[in-house]
Amino acid sequence: MTPPTAAPAISLESVSHVYQPAAVRALDEVSLQIAPGQRLALIGQNGSGKSTLVRHLNGLLRPTSGRVLVDGHETVRHTVADLAHRVGLVFQDPDRQIFAGSVEAEVAFGPRNVGMRGAQLGSAVTRALEATGLADARRTNPYDLGASRRKLLALASVLAMETLVLVLDEPTTGQDVAGIDAVRHVIQSASRDGRTVIAISHDMEFVATEFERVVVMGGGRVLADGPPADVFAAPQWALLASTYLEPPLAARAGERLGLGSTPTDAALVAALRAAQ
Amino acid sequence: MLSLEGVTYRYAGTSRPSLRDISLTFGDGEVVGIAGRSEAGKTTLCLVLSGLAPRTVGGSLSGRLLVDGSDAAPLAIHELAGRIGIAFASPATQLSGVAATVYEEVAFGPMNLGLPRDEIIQRTDEALTALRIEPLAARDPARLSGGQQQLVAIAGLLAQRPAHLVLDEPTAQLDPQGTRLVGEALTRLANGGASIILVEQKTDLLAAVCSRVVVLDAGAVARDGAAGDVLGDERLSSLGIAAPASVRLRKALAQAGAGAAQLAVLDEPLR
Amino acid sequence: MAGPSPIHRLNPLTKLLLAAVSTILAVVLGGLVAPAVIVALAVIVPALIAGILPRLLRTALLLSLPIAISVLLVNLLFYPAGREILFQVGPIRATAEGLGFALETLARIGAISGAITLFYLTTPPAELVLDLERRGVPARLAFVAIASVQTVPAMVERAAAITAAQRARGLDTEGSAWKRIRGIVPLAGPVLLGSIAEIEERTMSLEARGFTRPGRRTLLWSPPDSGTQRAVRWLLVAALPAVVLARATGWLPA
Repeated sequence: MTPPTAAPAISLESVSHVYQPAAVRALDEVSLQIAPGQRLALIGQNGSGKSTLVRHLNGLLRPTSGRVLVDGHETVRHTVADLAHRVGLVFQDPDRQIFAGSVEAEVAFGPRNVGMRGAQLGSAVTRALEATGLADARRTNPYDLGASRRKLLALASVLAMETLVLVLDEPTTGQDVAGIDAVRHVIQSASRDGRTVIAISHDMEFVATEFERVVVMGGGRVLADGPPADVFAAPQWALLASTYLEPPLAARAGERLGLGSTPTDAALVAALRAAQ
Repeated sequence: MLSLEGVTYRYAGTSRPSLRDISLTFGDGEVVGIAGRSEAGKTTLCLVLSGLAPRTVGGSLSGRLLVDGSDAAPLAIHELAGRIGIAFASPATQLSGVAATVYEEVAFGPMNLGLPRDEIIQRTDEALTALRIEPLAARDPARLSGGQQQLVAIAGLLAQRPAHLVLDEPTAQLDPQGTRLVGEALTRLANGGASIILVEQKTDLLAAVCSRVVVLDAGAVARDGAAGDVLGDERLSSLGIAAPASVRLRKALAQAGAGAAQLAVLDEPLR
Repeated sequence: MAGPSPIHRLNPLTKLLLAAVSTILAVVLGGLVAPAVIVALAVIVPALIAGILPRLLRTALLLSLPIAISVLLVNLLFYPAGREILFQVGPIRATAEGLGFALETLARIGAISGAITLFYLTTPPAELVLDLERRGVPARLAFVAIASVQTVPAMVERAAAITAAQRARGLDTEGSAWKRIRGIVPLAGPVLLGSIAEIEERTMSLEARGFTRPGRRTLLWSPPDSGTQRAVRWLLVAALPAVVLARATGWLPA
C-alpha cells in the first residue's frame, strides 16, 4: 500500500480542455490526485472526457486552463518525448502503432527512445515479453500474431519503457480469456513494483476486481470517485445509469440478496459466508 | 437452411488450415452463437458461410457450403448477397461511403440488386422499423455513434432479405451503450424468427440472445449444443472462453453454500 | 436533397465541367491576367454565393502550398533564361525573369486548386456517383473514383492516431529535422498497412452487399438537372476551342 504522505504521481489541478474550433469543453475543471503505485480505473461513456484526460498525462494534450503535474513536473514544460520517460500510454488499437518486422524490434523501440541501451535495453525487452507471454515469439513478424497477441505486443512495447506511470486505453477490448489474464498479471506486478496504473475500461467486472479506485466521468467532469465497493454500491446506481453504465452482476446480486455492496464475485461469496 | 459439409479451408499462402473438416447445419429461425479463443477460426467460419471465402478472400476450400440444400459453389458473391448477410466488427468500414443519409445506406443492398423502386422503398422501411432506427433515417451515417452505425449496417443487411444473418463480433468495438443497443436489437430480431449466427467473445451476450452455441477450437468444432449446456460447462475455460457472469456467480455461490432461493436470484433480470 | 446554396444545388456534372474547363483554360491561357479572371469569375463568385469562401481559401491554400513554395524557389533562383538579377546569395542568383515565370505558374496553380476545391466542397460524393450512374457510367467506375478521394480524410485521421501512439513511445516529433525524418518509418508503415487493410474490409462489405452484380443498379433518386444547366455546360465546352482560336488569331492578347 502507498504511504499517505507520499507526493502524488499524477496531479490534475482544475484542468479544463476545450477542443477548437468546435469549442467543445471536453474536460471541465477536473482535479485529481493519484498516489504512486495506485491502480485507478476511469469509466464513463464515449465522450465523457476519459480519453481527453489520459492524453494530458503524457503531454499529447495541454490543458486550456489548470495544471497537470507528473511526478511533480508540469507537463507544459516538457515535450511528449520527454514525458514518455515517465508516462507510458498504450492505445487501444495495436494496428495503429506496430511497424517493426519482429516482435523484438517492436518492443525495443520505446525503451530505446527513452535512452536505454545494451544490457539494460535487452533485459527490459525480455521482461516485457515474458510478462505478456510473448517470449516464444521474439522473431515472429507482428502480423503473423493473432489480433489478441498483437494487442499484448502493444502493451509489451510500452511496458518495456519501465515508466513510473502506465496508462492503458481499453486493455481488455477485443481480448480473449488468455489475453485478459495476461493483462491482469501485468497490472498486478506493475503495481507491486510501485508503478501507478491507470486504465480506461468498459469492462465493469475487470474494473471491480483489478482496481482499488474507480473514477466515473461524464460530461467532462468527475461524477464519482472511490473504491469499487463504494462506486458500484446501490446508492450510486442511478448515477451510473444516467451515464449508461451498469454495475457488475455480483454487485446487483449482492444487493438483491441483502448482503450489502459486493462489487466482485469474491466479495459476494465472502459476504454470503459471513451472513451464514 | 445453411450447412457446411466436411469443410476444410486454408488462407492463400498458408500451410495450416484455418477450418478443419467442419460439418454444421444452421436451421431457419435458429439463433446460434459461435465462441472460441482468438484465432480459433470464428472469423474464417463467417467468411466461409457468407461465401467471401474463397471468392473475395482467396484461399482454398474443400468440402461444400449448402444453401437451402444446394451447393453454393457455382454462385457468385453477389448472388449470395440476397441469401446471406454478413456484418463485421468495425462500424465505419461497413458504410458504403456513397450514401448521404441512413435511408440511402440501408437501401444500398437492394439498389445493387436492381430491384424495382417500390420494392426497395418497402424493404428499406421494414428494415428501419425492425431495428427501430426510423428517427435516424435522414441523418448522415458517418456522424452516428458506433452502436448506431452497427444498427444501420444490420438494417442494410435485413433489406437484402437474407435467409441468414452472420454477425462477426458486432459489439467488439462498441461502448456499453452501443453493446446494449445491438444486443436489444438482436433479441428483437431473434424473437421475430430471424436466423442468426452470432460470433462474440462476450458470453453474457451469447447467453442472452442465443438458443444454441457452437465452440470452435483450432479450426474444429469442440462443442455444439444448447446455450445453457455449453456455456454452463465446467471445462469452458480450457477452450479459452470465459463463462457468462451468471454462470460464474452461480458456481461460486453454490460452493459457498447458498440455498436454492438465493441461487434463484441469478435467474431474475437484475436491474 | 436540398443543398444549402444555389451552387450546392447545381447538378454535379455542371460543377465538374466548370472545374475542368477552368483548369484547362488556366493552363492554356497562362499569363497573370487570365488566371486572375478565371479565379474571380469561376472560383470566388461561386464561393461567395455558396457561403464557403473562407473555407475554400484555407483548403485551396493547404492543397497547393507545398507545390507553390517549391515552384517559387526553383524558378526564382534557378531559372535558366534569367538575366536581370534581383539579389544574389553566394553562387545562387534570383532573377526577375525567374520571378515572372514563377508568378505565372503560381497563378495557374491558384486557379486550378481553387477550381478543384470549389467542386470538392460543394458536391457530396454520393451525388456525383448517382448522377454519373444515371448517365450510364458503370457504378463501380464512378465509385472507385470517388472512394479514392474519400480515403484521404481517413488516412489523415489514421496518421494522427498513429503519430500519437508513436510519440507516446518517445518518438520525438518536436526535435531536430533529422529526428523527424527518422520518424517517418514508424509513422508511414502503419498508415499504409492500415489503409490497405481498411480497403480490404470495405471491399468485402461492398461485395457482400451485391455491389459487384453486373447490370445497372436501381437508383432511388439522382440529382436534378435542367435545360438551363445543359445549355451552360455546352457553352463551357464550346468556350475551350473558342478561346484557343481567339488566342491563336491574336484576338485575345497574352
